[in-house]
Amino acid sequence: MILTGPEITEAASDGRIRIAPFHGEQVNPNSYNVRLGDTLLTYTGNVVDAHSANPTRAVKIAEEGFVLQPDQLYLGHTVERIGSDHYVPLLFGRSSVGRLGLFVEITAPIGDIGFHGQWTLMLSAVRPLRVYPGMKIGQIMFFVSQGEIDLYEGKYQAATGPQESRYWHDQVASA
Amino acid sequence: MILTRQAISQAVASGDILIEPFEPARLSPNAYDWRLGDRIRVCDGELDAAVPTDYEEIVIPPEGLVLRPGRLYLGITHERTGSERFAQLLNGDRTVGGLGVWVHVSAPLGHVGHAINWTLEIRVAQPIRVYPYMTFGKIVFLETFGTRTSYQQVGRKYTRTGGIDISRLHEELT
Repeated sequence: MILTGPEITEAASDGRIRIAPFHGEQVNPNSYNVRLGDTLLTYTGNVVDAHSANPTRAVKIAEEGFVLQPDQLYLGHTVERIGSDHYVPLLFGRSSVGRLGLFVEITAPIGDIGFHGQWTLMLSAVRPLRVYPGMKIGQIMFFVSQGEIDLYEGKYQAATGPQESRYWHDQVASA
Repeated sequence: MILTRQAISQAVASGDILIEPFEPARLSPNAYDWRLGDRIRVCDGELDAAVPTDYEEIVIPPEGLVLRPGRLYLGITHERTGSERFAQLLNGDRTVGGLGVWVHVSAPLGHVGHAINWTLEIRVAQPIRVYPYMTFGKIVFLETFGTRTSYQQVGRKYTRTGGIDISRLHEELT
């Protein structure tokens, strides 16, 4: 079952869901609109290596905007810190953003119960696109789970700002 | 929880789900197999979230239209779907995905109260010919948890759409 907007609002006030900052006008009938933070990360190497820590560069999105180029992955982040110890979160781009040809996540809309932090956005544009800090870029929805809950304790817990992939971390740990 | 074929069929009969036009043969075990409409908008310029998008609208001819990589296409579902009781998730299907077509870039969510022809945000991995009214994806229906509110009541942007919608994000940024 997917939570309704009024239930998201109630859960955000009684602590079942944590969204900070929370604004009532960002609540939709079945989701919450999230905003784009002002920091983007790009990988600077010619090849991204799944087994290595990849160098990155951070850029600030100025008030006058920043043009995302196709064929380039930008890691962005939500302004909001979001999480729940009860419900399964799914994050996607908003339709207004999809209609501009922007992918806001790649392959992984589902989050973990127990993750709390700013969500990293995986931004990939079909056409060059100017984006602005604080624009409402995505929407997060919450699903009721079934079964005993085992909270997330993973490597991106309590994230602040965009997080580069730490696939290499698992590689080293399992070696 | 996701509605099964039988549950969707019953909800269509009782009016809890609107699918227009509705063809029972398009019901699959837990979805309705919707079709691509006959018009498409092509965006091949530079876009700005604060500015309305330039586009060219094309009628997809019966012999088909070749979609190219590197362009953004806005299409539309042939069907109008909606429900004041269930939320909807719209996606491509595995047959269309296997052709290298992303059917919908953004949130697949149809909020409770949405009753629309869906605008599709299409990109392709390689050139591909598409045809009007071809089966293009699946829509599923979900039960909700909590007090319901309707998209029609909260004053959102795309409440009564019957055609392709370009982004109206610029309205929020001016």
